[in-house]
Amino acid sequence: MLFFSFFKTLVEHEITVELKNEVCIRGTLKSVDQYLNIKLDNATTTDESRWPHLIACKDMFIRGSVVRYVHLPPGIVDTNLLEDATRREAEAAKAKAK
Amino acid sequence: MSFFGFDATLPKDGGHAANAPGFGQTPDAFAGLGGGALDDGDAIDFEETYDGLGDRLDETDDAFNDDTFGSGPATQQAVGRDFDFAGQTSKIADTMHEEQMLYQARQAPPKRQPPIPQASKPARTGYESYHNPEYIPQLEARADIWGLKPKQNDAPLRQPEPVAPAPAAPVAARKMMSLDEVEAMMRSHTMQESFAPGPAQPFQLPAMQQQQELAYNQPQYPGTPPQYAPQILQRPQQQAHPGARQTQQHQQQQPQVHVELPGHSVQAQPSHAPTILQRPRSNQSDPHSQPRQAAQQQANQRPSSQPRQILQNPNRLSGHGQPIAQQGQRGPLPGHNRGPSFPGMVITHPEQLLHLSEEERVAFLEEDAKRAKRNHKIAMLSKDNGLMTPQDKNFITRIQLQQLMAATGNLEDQGSEAALAEDFYFQVFSQIRGAPRQTPHQPANQFAQTYLFQNNGRFGQGRRQGRGGDNHMQRMEQQVQRAVEAAKAKPKSKQLVIEGSLGKISFSNSKTPRPLLNIKRGDTGDKPQTKPHKSSIADRKEALRNIEKVYIILMHLEDHERALPPPINENSDPEEIQRHMEWRSKVEALHKKLWEGIKIMEPINPHASSPHPFIAMLSHGKGKKAIPRIFRHIDDQERLTVVTMIVVHLDNLAVVSHALASPDEPMSAAMREEVALFSQTVMPPLFGLISESPLSNVVGLVGLVLARTNLHVVARSQIGMSLLTILISRAELLKESTPDINIVDWEHWTEQYNQLFNSVEPVLPLLFPGSVNDTDDMYVWQFLAAMGVGASPEQQQRLVIGVKDRVMETVTVSKVLPPEMASARLANVNLFMRAIGLDVELLG
Repeated sequence: MLFFSFFKTLVEHEITVELKNEVCIRGTLKSVDQYLNIKLDNATTTDESRWPHLIACKDMFIRGSVVRYVHLPPGIVDTNLLEDATRREAEAAKAKAK
Repeated sequence: MSFFGFDATLPKDGGHAANAPGFGQTPDAFAGLGGGALDDGDAIDFEETYDGLGDRLDETDDAFNDDTFGSGPATQQAVGRDFDFAGQTSKIADTMHEEQMLYQARQAPPKRQPPIPQASKPARTGYESYHNPEYIPQLEARADIWGLKPKQNDAPLRQPEPVAPAPAAPVAARKMMSLDEVEAMMRSHTMQESFAPGPAQPFQLPAMQQQQELAYNQPQYPGTPPQYAPQILQRPQQQAHPGARQTQQHQQQQPQVHVELPGHSVQAQPSHAPTILQRPRSNQSDPHSQPRQAAQQQANQRPSSQPRQILQNPNRLSGHGQPIAQQGQRGPLPGHNRGPSFPGMVITHPEQLLHLSEEERVAFLEEDAKRAKRNHKIAMLSKDNGLMTPQDKNFITRIQLQQLMAATGNLEDQGSEAALAEDFYFQVFSQIRGAPRQTPHQPANQFAQTYLFQNNGRFGQGRRQGRGGDNHMQRMEQQVQRAVEAAKAKPKSKQLVIEGSLGKISFSNSKTPRPLLNIKRGDTGDKPQTKPHKSSIADRKEALRNIEKVYIILMHLEDHERALPPPINENSDPEEIQRHMEWRSKVEALHKKLWEGIKIMEPINPHASSPHPFIAMLSHGKGKKAIPRIFRHIDDQERLTVVTMIVVHLDNLAVVSHALASPDEPMSAAMREEVALFSQTVMPPLFGLISESPLSNVVGLVGLVLARTNLHVVARSQIGMSLLTILISRAELLKESTPDINIVDWEHWTEQYNQLFNSVEPVLPLLFPGSVNDTDDMYVWQFLAAMGVGASPEQQQRLVIGVKDRVMETVTVSKVLPPEMASARLANVNLFMRAIGLDVELLG
């Protein structure tokens, strides 16, 4: 849930999604679900000469399992909060394991 | 009792005619019969009538007379009844009627119910005149059925007077008539009444009624069930509206007429559907209640009687046809019988419609369809009407509202907690940054307050780094400035002297070599201390683990804080107080745990190879970040302990001992970040505490710095210098703001200050971390200003001597800088210059 929770805060921000087939797409994150499927608006590929077939695509739905990286704008990540959230997640996982 | 019996035993018409004026006076007839048997001679002259035939009888052959005729005189009792079928029938008439009523009841149970209340009315209003004790105990319905019988019995009581002078015609009419005769007469009556109601009618009424009743009674036995009902239903009307009798008559006549002439009269029809038509008929009777109008109306209605007849078909279960034909007269039909009547309409349609003209049929069908639709709709809607009382409904509504409240309440309680556990980052982030609300399960206000307070509050976390740092710096700057202002305001007269002595200061340049020696000493002392600080891997892991433990405790504390029960007062119920107590004790426990977690009470071992655990925690970034959060949960005494611990180990802090920069070897980027982080996270809480602490605390802290730390190291680091600035400026402020300050304390402070000044003086030229072009020297100027404010004139001179070169250089450099940067740098310099009563302008 941590990643889902985290990605939700990125909604309406511009991100770059790097897929496992090396396609790189930049766009505005519209929504994300628990599988980390991603919906992008105003999507463009970072290198149109490499993936010309994606030029026409403006809105995209990307299956979460094909995403390798998501490049974030650093300014919108609250690291302290993320640390706390991570601690909570770890603690919850530990409590569950018991 | 039976007419037939009477006829059979009294063949002579005359005797009856003389004694029985009215048909209802059957007892007279019996009396006559009895009289004939007992004293015949009184009534008739035997001799006159005797024809002598008796003389010719053979008396001897009378032996079997008794066998033939019976021994006694011919009395009703004596005469054999074997042949008296009607009499026999009349005996079981009760049973037959019961059976018929029973049949009716079984056939149409719903229809039976409405008439009963109606029939009960006649019991009070309609039967007074007929009252006979033997009928009182009987059921009302049966009394109605038998209504005709009492009439016969009561007739003598009521009618002898009016009837006696009656014309011969009614008497003659009273004679036994065949069914055909009766019908014919009735028809003629109807015509008469219709066309010439006249005053004769009331006259005719009693006899008429009897005749009708007689004629009416006979077909009863054969079994025309619907005809009983009209009798029941019309009684009240008869009584209630004397004028409506005419109508009654018609109605009573109609059934018979109807047999031969269907559609002859409108009013007849209701009698076949008593229950439902009761209401319409009563309506109908109203216009007729004025006898004057009755005939006219009837005449007027005649043309329309044909369709209406159809509409009022006896088979019909409802009076719906009437409104159609008579809408003009009556207006719309009241709705209360719509439901039950609906099926009946459908059944009877086809045959009724056959008699309709085309337009009428269309109109009717249309109307009927509309009505049926409406009725159906209303029936559907009102299907369950009246099942619940208003109280029931209120009760249900209350329960539903309660459940709703409970549900939403739980949703909020559990929802936020669950959402927090599952979705911590998003929830808190949304709160802090105002991200668009995407879920209704927003964190509770308390949660938001906790976190907002934590992040933006007094010990603002370094999350908003730029702003937090700025805030802290601004406040420190303000404090220094205030100190400077205060100092400037007071020793104005002195300053003039000092101002004049500026030249003198330059004379004492000869003292400058001395600090160089001090610096060398400081450096040599510095090196060996930093070596052991290189902590082993085990130490490092231990420190990190401690930090994590502290964080977990902190989060528990914060979670627990969010679960703060509502504040209690004297009126709170014990359970609430109990909860509050539990909450408090848990806070205490967590607080204790936290205090132990930060290891601050570990004994200080100055000669230990590894640093104090608390200080080790501060060497890590997240350890530094924990400080403001820890400060929130500990009390002032504990905060002072933390500050003391930090001050004592000031030169052991990595950010101090490793952050000694010089123009030749500037700080590494990592160390810069460390220092920045420390000044953003740890310094604000320290500053907050010191800026509120009394002079004794400040004196104590400065004493600790002097006693326990290598001041040369401390004074050359940004953190140490800032801390010293805070302490000195606080002391200066206290001096200015509280004139009646404790002399002892003040002497103590002066002593401390002199000691501090002496220690710092040698490193004055080395205070600046970078070259003149390095702009990040504000804290140095602040420190110098703070020192300058409290300094004696002689100390101020030494101060100026120490940094004179830097001042001149900065002023020179700022001349070639862009105006904004130049003014910023000059402002920094001026901060110090004004502290000692000078101004940069003087140098320009």
